[in-house]
Amino acid sequence: MDIRQFLTSSRILIVAGKGGVGKSAVAASLALTAAHQGMTSLLVTLDPPGVVPPPHERLDTMMVSPGRALVDYLSAYGLGRLTRRLATSGLVELVAQTAPGIDDLLVLGKIKSLERDLRADLIVVDGPASGHAIDLLRAPRVLHRAVPGGPIGQQADDVLAMMADASRCRTMLVATPAMTPVQEALDVARELTGTLGLALGPVVVNMIDDQPPPVDATRLDDHLRRAWEWAESRSRAQAGAVSLLERSLDTGRLLLRRHRLSGPGMVEALAIDMAAAIEAHSPGASR
Amino acid sequence: MTGRAPAPATTLGDVCATARIIVACGAGGVGKTSVAAALGLVAARRGRRAVVLTIDPARRLTDAIGVSDTIGNEPVRVPLDVSGEMWISMLDVRETFDGLVRDTASTPERAAEVLDNSFYKSLSQSLSGTRDYMAAERLFELSADARFDVVVVDTPPSRNALDFLESPERLARFLKHPIVRLLVAPGRGGLRLAGAAVQPVVRIISGIVGSDALSGAIAFLRAFDGLESEFSRRALAVAATLRGDDTAFVVVSGPSADALDQAGHFVDELRRLAIGLRAIVLNRMPPVFGDVTADEARRIATSSTGDTAVAHRFLADLATDAEGANDRTGGFLQHARRAHPSIVVAAAEEMAVDIHDIDSIATLADFLAH
Repeated sequence: MDIRQFLTSSRILIVAGKGGVGKSAVAASLALTAAHQGMTSLLVTLDPPGVVPPPHERLDTMMVSPGRALVDYLSAYGLGRLTRRLATSGLVELVAQTAPGIDDLLVLGKIKSLERDLRADLIVVDGPASGHAIDLLRAPRVLHRAVPGGPIGQQADDVLAMMADASRCRTMLVATPAMTPVQEALDVARELTGTLGLALGPVVVNMIDDQPPPVDATRLDDHLRRAWEWAESRSRAQAGAVSLLERSLDTGRLLLRRHRLSGPGMVEALAIDMAAAIEAHSPGASR
Repeated sequence: MTGRAPAPATTLGDVCATARIIVACGAGGVGKTSVAAALGLVAARRGRRAVVLTIDPARRLTDAIGVSDTIGNEPVRVPLDVSGEMWISMLDVRETFDGLVRDTASTPERAAEVLDNSFYKSLSQSLSGTRDYMAAERLFELSADARFDVVVVDTPPSRNALDFLESPERLARFLKHPIVRLLVAPGRGGLRLAGAAVQPVVRIISGIVGSDALSGAIAFLRAFDGLESEFSRRALAVAATLRGDDTAFVVVSGPSADALDQAGHFVDELRRLAIGLRAIVLNRMPPVFGDVTADEARRIATSSTGDTAVAHRFLADLATDAEGANDRTGGFLQHARRAHPSIVVAAAEEMAVDIHDIDSIATLADFLAH
């Protein structure tokens, strides 16, 4: 698929995945790929960024923290004055407990306003660092049910509409090429598209190892043969995991190699792979 | 903390043989749940009755252990040929919370009132804060269960994996908060009649979340009133158990810079919370093949031809991974030992095929016990 077409087919890409799958690097590389294509891109992180993209004139970064979003919202609602008398933390907690997920919703609301303000051609959201990115994605639906009406209920409805519209927002899951992460990505994909009604982009399979070279392993020294066999069986397991994904999900996938790099250099290398993976990607035709 | 010194342990196997509670903490993706299961197996091999409480296992892992999809709060015994027993239980947040309400309520009517409350229903759904607290509560219950000698738990996937340690105290603090006390103060009819001090707060909050949600929350807090002190008492007991000498904290990390960064953060946090760290598990360490260094392999590759050259170039990559992992984990261990001098360290090799059955968990247990 044409890279530019892929990157312009939704304004927002939310990158979600469990810890250790390289989600932040993938998000940063998507933002960088867009900048390479001449688009303006904005990388939004929810935590202090773990992986920083190399500087690029068309790539901007921004942090929107859930806790901060809630405090800002409450101050805007006039609680700032009152909180001087009543301990802030307790009050914020009371609101958070009354409407669980409200902080996550406010983050998504903030992203929605960035989209509305045409802040960039592409907004890439690097989901929460650990635990369940799905809590974030679940929040609008939970609040839509828990607090119908009122400004928060309205916000939830607006965010839900945004996340269901593939031309505005798609969620991209990141997994590593092993059975457990792939199985989990499939479970999450099912919930996102089913219960939550979100638009899903291709799944990113990150950190695929190079296959061992085609040599006659039986003639190698013992330690070389063991290394070769280990890598060979790992490659086979990885191919099996990718093929399970292919068979089970028709959103297509983007395959990225493992890089022995870190920081901006890693993002740079991934962005090159990302562009190639997008070109190789055919949406909806993976079955 | 009591003044009693923790039992001296020289291997992780010894920790599994003596601790009453083992808490495996670590960032997502380091194989924490697999490690928890393997530690349960190590304990069972040492003749103990172990229960592994998993907070959010991958379905595939419960398949691997051979327990059915229907696994929930009630522990299920894993069929194994060992001298002890291994049981597994998966946290059901709602069921745990319901049980806690029933236990702490003065009368069944009072309990029913809370359980029927709409705010309670949304609170008790698996939202991260509640999940943290119920994980701590369930751990407390299992540790008091006479059927088990040791409980192994993996920490819940929250924004900060150690939130779960502080969650009972946080809830107790919340229930004692002046605003909450004012909202539930006796003798005030409804929202409209809430004390003058909280009126503006009530108005603003109900403007944000809607008055139905706030009324529900207040009705809940009122129904909870009275349960509150028992609830707080229990929260503090849970916190004390987690800090007891019979509880062993194990930080699990992979060899990546990211994972080690986060593990370093756990190490520091535990120190800040005055909790002793008993062990570190370095999981998924790249395997080492022979004693050829990456540099030597590269040199051989350039000075030879054919398959020997190709194979050595490939070996050099694998050796680079292993050497990098060694350097990074070495630095991390040095840092960890400064904060917690008497930790034991266990390392497990990355397996070519990820954990998929009880045999691979047994292999992991072999690595960890030494």
